[in-house]
Amino acid sequence: MINENDPATLSASGRLLAYNDAVKTGLATGERFTKLMDQLINTTVPQELAQAASELSTFVLDSEFVTFPHQYGAADYYLLFMSRMLELHNQGDEVALVSHEGSHHLTQQIVAIADSGSFAFESANDGTGGVYYTEQLTGERVFYLNLQRQMMRINSVAITNLFVVAYAASVDEAQRLAATQLLIDFGQALKTDFGYSVDFNLLDTTNSEFYAFQNAQLSSDILDKLFVAAASEDYMLMHEGHGQAAILQLPGDVVLKLTNKPSSAPEGWGLYVQDSEQNVSWLKVLLSYDFLRQWYLDNINDLQIRSDNLVF
Amino acid sequence: MENTNEPQQTVEPLLPNQLDMTIAQKIAYLQKLQQALHDGDDRQIYELMDPIRYARDVKKSRTTDQSADLSMLISDVHADLSHYLSGKLIDYLGQTYPFFYYDEINNGTFKIYFGNWWDRRLFGELDVLNVAFKFDEEEYDKLRQTFELAPAHKRFNSDNIDAVTAENAKLQRLIDDQSERDNQKDTLRQQLKELGSKSTLPWDSGKVKEERQTIVDKLSELADQDEAAMNANKTIKENDEKILSLSKEDTILNYEKQSIQKTFEDFTHFESHNDTLYTDYLTSLIGKGRVNAND
Repeated sequence: MINENDPATLSASGRLLAYNDAVKTGLATGERFTKLMDQLINTTVPQELAQAASELSTFVLDSEFVTFPHQYGAADYYLLFMSRMLELHNQGDEVALVSHEGSHHLTQQIVAIADSGSFAFESANDGTGGVYYTEQLTGERVFYLNLQRQMMRINSVAITNLFVVAYAASVDEAQRLAATQLLIDFGQALKTDFGYSVDFNLLDTTNSEFYAFQNAQLSSDILDKLFVAAASEDYMLMHEGHGQAAILQLPGDVVLKLTNKPSSAPEGWGLYVQDSEQNVSWLKVLLSYDFLRQWYLDNINDLQIRSDNLVF
Repeated sequence: MENTNEPQQTVEPLLPNQLDMTIAQKIAYLQKLQQALHDGDDRQIYELMDPIRYARDVKKSRTTDQSADLSMLISDVHADLSHYLSGKLIDYLGQTYPFFYYDEINNGTFKIYFGNWWDRRLFGELDVLNVAFKFDEEEYDKLRQTFELAPAHKRFNSDNIDAVTAENAKLQRLIDDQSERDNQKDTLRQQLKELGSKSTLPWDSGKVKEERQTIVDKLSELADQDEAAMNANKTIKENDEKILSLSKEDTILNYEKQSIQKTFEDFTHFESHNDTLYTDYLTSLIGKGRVNAND
């Protein structure tokens, strides 16, 4: 184990001492690691939890003289972190960690959708420790998480593909909503506990949330399609302003407002979902109304809600 | 005012009095108009603007003093008057025609929109001074036809949509049959090859030629269909757009029809109301002028 390329000519005892020091450092690293693991698994203080996860996610356990043959990957610590965060917010039993002993890695299931999806974090390779919460079978990146930069970004494409399309046949609407609610709750916890910047995207239920369409210059054809589709379901797409906005009144005082925001960012066409309780998101609307879902999916290239383009 | 170059004023002594009276009448007319404006008495303004029509349509009397019509005095303030009078008129129309919306594009000039739904139609203009709708004839005619077609459970564009939909179905079949055509072509080419490799007896050559021609014709027919299929996708897309715009128009016409039915029950009642709008509106204003002036 002695570095024979080392140009320094050490005496035998000197070499042993250097070796011993290196092993000590390696063991200390290991000990530090187990402390962090204890902290990650046992702490009930959110700040300590985040600190452990953050440190572990970039932790280099092996040193030149001490290596550990069985290790979990950085991504697994994110998963533990997420599970524990939910646990601290009394939602621990809404996810289940699955340990894959052979390959020493973890996956997570969202209890609401049972084994329809299997999730794990994957490195974003962005040099800042960002990870994607990825569905393992489909590769859909559900959200981006970055502990260092304290941000979380929901990906509308994955939410649409999984919760609007893929699970439609196998998981009922309430369970799909429960699963996405869990993602909201996780983001909300990050926001309140640590002041994270969180983009809930199409899961956002606040009235002021502007869901920007992929195509900012939406053609009037697409609104015409909605107009005709709504009429066939006895809903009337109303005109507002000078052709720059349209309103669709849905039951339960839910108002869909499609509008062009020329002067503010994000610029262009998009929509608001407004209700007095502020608990209806675009996703909920999509799951509740066949004609709106059909319209959205038929024109998905134009209508896809924009996600943070820095990470998606 | 003719002969102004000749000194005639001394010849006809009555003339200054006559002129004086005429001017006094004009002043009185304008003062009356101004008072009506101050009082917010729109009925009075309408009467002053067109006393003959007012007498005929509102008072239902034939005896009218023609000289009372001095409305030419205010012909250059029509736009301002229209703007002013639109306030109460549009309020009234809001009650009686709840489905019309107005947009003042210039001072006193009002466009009429039918409905508040998406892509509602521009339906004409509001003639405030004559209390009348000036509907866009083409749009109005579409609506009339929509009512006429309703008993047959047809919409304005039903036939058109059916025709385009049928064309699309035909084109789709052309696309779907591609592999079948490919198989047919293979078979035909094989037959052609076999025909060529056969040693032909002299007395059979005419028959073979004929057979060959039949196959070649069939192949070229299939090639034509292939080409049509290649263009079909584009045409289908264009047709889809056509169907969308026709469906949209039908949806709008249906909303218009429902609006009219809700307020007037049928198109005939709607039309008869339009015809008596001037009388109905001005009658509704009788006795209201002073009250509103105190608002």
